[in-house]
Amino acid sequence: MMLGASAIRVGAQDRATGKTRFGFDQGREGDLFLVCVRAAKGPARIKSMDYAPALAVPGVVRVFTAGDIPGQNRLGIIPVSKDQEFLAQGLVRHYGQAVALVAAESREAALAGARAVRVELEDLPGVFDPAEALAAGAPLVHADRAEGNLLKENRIIKGDAEAALARSAVLVEAEYAIGRVEHAALEMEGGRAYYQDGRVIVKACTQNPHYDQGDLALFLGVEPDRVRVVQAETGGGFGGKLDVSVQPYLALAAWHLKRPVRMAYTREETFLATAKRHPFRMRYVSGADEEGRLTAVKAELLSDTGAFASYGLAVCMRAAVHATGPYLVPNVAVNCRMAYTNNTWNGAMRGFGVPQVALAHEGQMDALAAALGMDPLELRLKNALRADQATATGQVLKSGVGLTQCLERLRPIYEAWRHGLSHGGWHRQGVGLGCMYYGIGNTGVSNPSTAQMEWLPDGRVVLYTGVAELGQGSDTVLRQLAAQRLGLEPEEIDLCRGDTDRTTNAGASSASRQTYISGNAVLNAADNLEELLLTGARELLGARHLDLDLRGRLILEKGGQGRTLEVKEVARFLASEGREIKAGGRFDPNFTALDPATGQGRPYAAYAFAAQCALVEVDTASGLVKVKEVAAAHDVGRAINRRAVMGQICGGVMMGVGMALMEEYQQGSTDNLQNYHIPTAADAPRVTPLIVEEPEETGPYGAKGVGEPALIPTAPAVAGAVSQALGRPMRRLPLNLERVMEAITTAEDQQP
Amino acid sequence: MELIFKLNGEEVRLSQVPGEESLLTLLRERLGLTGTKEGCGVGECGACSVLLDGKVVNSCLTAAWQAAGREVTTIEGLAGDEDLHPVQRAFVEAGAVQCGFCTPGMILAAKSLLDQNPDPDEEVIKNALAGNLCRCTGYHDIIRAVRRAGKLLRGETS
Repeated sequence: MMLGASAIRVGAQDRATGKTRFGFDQGREGDLFLVCVRAAKGPARIKSMDYAPALAVPGVVRVFTAGDIPGQNRLGIIPVSKDQEFLAQGLVRHYGQAVALVAAESREAALAGARAVRVELEDLPGVFDPAEALAAGAPLVHADRAEGNLLKENRIIKGDAEAALARSAVLVEAEYAIGRVEHAALEMEGGRAYYQDGRVIVKACTQNPHYDQGDLALFLGVEPDRVRVVQAETGGGFGGKLDVSVQPYLALAAWHLKRPVRMAYTREETFLATAKRHPFRMRYVSGADEEGRLTAVKAELLSDTGAFASYGLAVCMRAAVHATGPYLVPNVAVNCRMAYTNNTWNGAMRGFGVPQVALAHEGQMDALAAALGMDPLELRLKNALRADQATATGQVLKSGVGLTQCLERLRPIYEAWRHGLSHGGWHRQGVGLGCMYYGIGNTGVSNPSTAQMEWLPDGRVVLYTGVAELGQGSDTVLRQLAAQRLGLEPEEIDLCRGDTDRTTNAGASSASRQTYISGNAVLNAADNLEELLLTGARELLGARHLDLDLRGRLILEKGGQGRTLEVKEVARFLASEGREIKAGGRFDPNFTALDPATGQGRPYAAYAFAAQCALVEVDTASGLVKVKEVAAAHDVGRAINRRAVMGQICGGVMMGVGMALMEEYQQGSTDNLQNYHIPTAADAPRVTPLIVEEPEETGPYGAKGVGEPALIPTAPAVAGAVSQALGRPMRRLPLNLERVMEAITTAEDQQP
Repeated sequence: MELIFKLNGEEVRLSQVPGEESLLTLLRERLGLTGTKEGCGVGECGACSVLLDGKVVNSCLTAAWQAAGREVTTIEGLAGDEDLHPVQRAFVEAGAVQCGFCTPGMILAAKSLLDQNPDPDEEVIKNALAGNLCRCTGYHDIIRAVRRAGKLLRGETS
């Protein structure tokens, strides 16, 4: 199997035959069931809680409250902002927060028990809007914070934006807004835990088993080695399974009761009690000279983290860093603030704030093109970042800058669509563009991955990785990379994945980082394994300086003339000496931290680039928007598994269409998939994925990442297309029937 | 009273099945057939799709007793001992499986479609699968898989 060909996904057959047991499917005869009691209002003070009636329900074994947590009841992915109470401690910070946990012999008994718990809540003044939260005198969401409701403020300052704007030939100024979005992974959160020999073993769906282990240990007040986390097969994540969800409840109950327990969220619970995409309000001023070269961009961004920090710090910083888009902008002034409110919390979702700012930076490019009378694609091409140019944070990119290639690949499709637009009856068509860049991995911090490879005496080769597979395809890609390096077929390599007892930390499956970062760690492990084998071969041959090469299961003397050994001879020799043939690998991308005042620095080692265009048709009688086609050009560095890259692109486009047209989480009124609609097959546009391979010199065989980039340009492209169809800019998502009709009727009112 | 029905070709007899129990709960909890998934519990997502006398239904909205005297096919009953069913094979080969949580329901919906219409065009496929949500694939490779499955079933390709 050649690297870059289309490989069949590891585990696809088990999924197609129903054998795969996801986190949601965990559970055995005799397990206890866990159900949370959730606050029916918030913010509120817990005046009293009486769970004696619950204990009287047949089958209920125990009711846990915050006082039963042996360790720290404040968890969260980012070490400096752990603030999420898994069982409310006196105060309910948001509607739906868990106040108690019921364990029972059956799901029915647990539900009955949860209904029987009497919780008396006293309303507290709350704040639900980030601007209001930052105003003087606003109720504090966390009274103990010196910064009040401000979670974070990030600035990116490069050059002198005000002066450059004053000198610009054209200026465009506009406001953009995007609401909250639910991940809606098809699998709801679920898992199982049990107690064994003084340890708790948790098997649940997750995007980051090693983080889970650390936070569960904090929660239980024990050393991490008392907690084992095994990633259950995970039915989609998109960022929604980065925060822990059922895991603390499972660990707590198993720890106290010493019995196996299981828990699964209902879809309503997934909507109510997991993170959402951060909403953003964005005010932009962009300037250009007469030729259309960007002179400056100034952006004011405001977002809402909800009641807890979750990934807020990361989203705030990443949104700021990417706010000016994949363009050469000589003068930049970005300010991004994120506030606490009493809304249910927001967190990581595919793109970490970049899809939100992309709506604005692409809207600005369209507005500039209109002001200059330029073609929107030409304007983007003129300003596209190229190698040896500096980003908004002053990082000069040396390789892997493929935006111009992406735009050139789109050009024939874009031009054909522009020329073929049809408007008939109530229908109006439009074409829009979206561009993006996306820094691979975490922003301006170390985020290493580790892996091991082992050659067993019986000839099997094992890859040990902590990388969580969620459906994105990391199992397949990491195995392909290891095989390529060792000269084996992928099928010859066994995987041991996502078990904190048997694998080491690879960091989160997030930030499109696993192909690039963990891929490099796997290659490093493969190189070290090769070195172990070659050293063994030299010892076996008694020739310390022999120049040898590993080719699959053979070891050859370089130059082709000399001796040939089978690896199994070397493996037998090493085994006879009691030496393990197992080697570790590690990779941490090169970065510098951002300057706290100016945001200047090299936050990422590699960037993915992409450009998409969308063809839409708007029914001006109903407001219905149909996305007919999307062409998506993605610079992925190198496609390791071509089919999987195309799968990511098509999936990202569809999620982007949902975000553009229909998805907005409204607390209290969107509580399941019947009132929060995600795209169905009938909504699917025809997608043309175009893979651009501009090699990243630090990437594994040149690869970068594609998971989040796939989604980011879509909503701006759709918004641009609808804007063109309606002849007025649409800057607020989603473009649902009401919003589109409002735009149509307002435009008609304004006509003379 | 015993609930008797045919499940994946074999007769099942169960006692003490409450009237309100869904077919989904019966399959997953009573019989341990976790290939049938739950994704919403309100009939919106299709993850719980099974075939009832060959027609696709949401098992979360189907009372277990509705299966009495009828034939239920779940994903576990589709493949032979050795070989995948052509629809399963097409899904695997076409890259239609990403996280795989929607896959069992999607495959059964696709089989039901192809049983009725051996050569559906793209629009027919899209509409037939509109009751089965997928969040990973964008449906692109699922649609390709259904077309490929059609060809396999019609013997046009091997």
